[in-house]
Amino acid sequence: MKELLRSWIEGETDPLEDLLDTSTREDQDREARKKISQEKIHRLEKDPKVQESVERVRKRFRKIYLAVAIISCISLSCVLLYTISLLPRYGAENPRATEVVSRYVEKGIEETGAVNIVSGMILDYRAFDTLGESHVLFTALICVMILLRIDRKNQRTGYEDYYTIRSDTYYDLSKDAILPLIGRILLPCILLYGIYILLNGQNSPGGGFSGGAVIGAGMILFSAAFGMKTADRFLTLKLCNMITFVSLAFYAFAKGYVFFMGANGLESHIPKGTPGAILSGGMILPLDIAVGLVVSVTMFGFYSLFRRGSIGMDVDYESFSSKRRKRPGGKKKS
Amino acid sequence: MGEWVQFWIVAVLLLSGVLCFVLEVIGVFRFGYVLNRMHASGIGDSMGFFLVILALMIASGWNFTTLKLLLLILFMWLTSPTSTHFLSMVEINTNPYLSRHVRRRDET
Repeated sequence: MKELLRSWIEGETDPLEDLLDTSTREDQDREARKKISQEKIHRLEKDPKVQESVERVRKRFRKIYLAVAIISCISLSCVLLYTISLLPRYGAENPRATEVVSRYVEKGIEETGAVNIVSGMILDYRAFDTLGESHVLFTALICVMILLRIDRKNQRTGYEDYYTIRSDTYYDLSKDAILPLIGRILLPCILLYGIYILLNGQNSPGGGFSGGAVIGAGMILFSAAFGMKTADRFLTLKLCNMITFVSLAFYAFAKGYVFFMGANGLESHIPKGTPGAILSGGMILPLDIAVGLVVSVTMFGFYSLFRRGSIGMDVDYESFSSKRRKRPGGKKKS
Repeated sequence: MGEWVQFWIVAVLLLSGVLCFVLEVIGVFRFGYVLNRMHASGIGDSMGFFLVILALMIASGWNFTTLKLLLLILFMWLTSPTSTHFLSMVEINTNPYLSRHVRRRDET
């Protein structure tokens, strides 16, 4: 048991391999490839020169790892302790914390034109913070794309391509009897509700992030209910990139304009409108729309990339259909 | 008189709804296999939810909130069975040891 734990920590064996991974066991291609690579490793391990250099590198890495770990731990705890020492005493009066909040509550409607003070806060006073959050989503989408996307330049092995597309067609829910019907009933409601949350962010709870999440969930339901091919007709990779880029660029330019021209109550030529109307709150409504588009595209992109490794139709499904074999070891879906 | 009738109807409906939820929780924790657990959780998700929302509808009287609660029941009854259906589909399609738990009708 201890031996198994040690080898698992070192990364040599995976005790859950047979339990979790059910599809790889019968696959001949992968077994053959594994065997070849294992033989290569065995050959290298027997070579004393290689062994010596590996041992040297390992020792050096251990030393550097230990030093970096100790230094980072000590410096992090020093920073945290210093920060704690600057905090006010528990229960003491803290004017710095209440000043900003009371300002938001008292003058928020007047200064931003938004009835929903939270919206006014995140998209007017602290709009650069929200810009950063949108960029975090954008960066996450890019990272997932780097890791999971299949296209002509970034080919994974034929085995992986084959299995991605096979599982995509195998678990195709659009042939089911129930889901398309439910989707046809629910989708208009979900999308309409998402658009309502998105557009009404300055007047009621909601706004860009929640509305975008609802719209993104609706798009996921759409692609699950009516098939990925139907979704690909309008939501291609190019369109996704365009939407994200245009939204983020518009956000940056608009907010930069407002900050340089109209911060702290200077004249910015952007009408505030009457609080409570749909066209009110100055720049909050367009910024909400931009954030919502980024969020919805990111959610759909995550789903699409995790499901089949691409957004839109840049995997050639037809060229794989000739390679299609019998599903190894499985019964037909009944 | 009318208020008392309303109160007792609401109380009976709420208590039976809560009883459904209690049965659901017991079933989810006591059953061993995923399909049995799903069956238990379906009791609360459909019947318990319906009874509790019905009680709230009667308690709120006849106004706009009633319509919203009705929509809540509609959406819950549409979405919850659909997701349960797909969960059970995944279980049946991917579990290699399915025959230990489930006996097909043609095999009996």
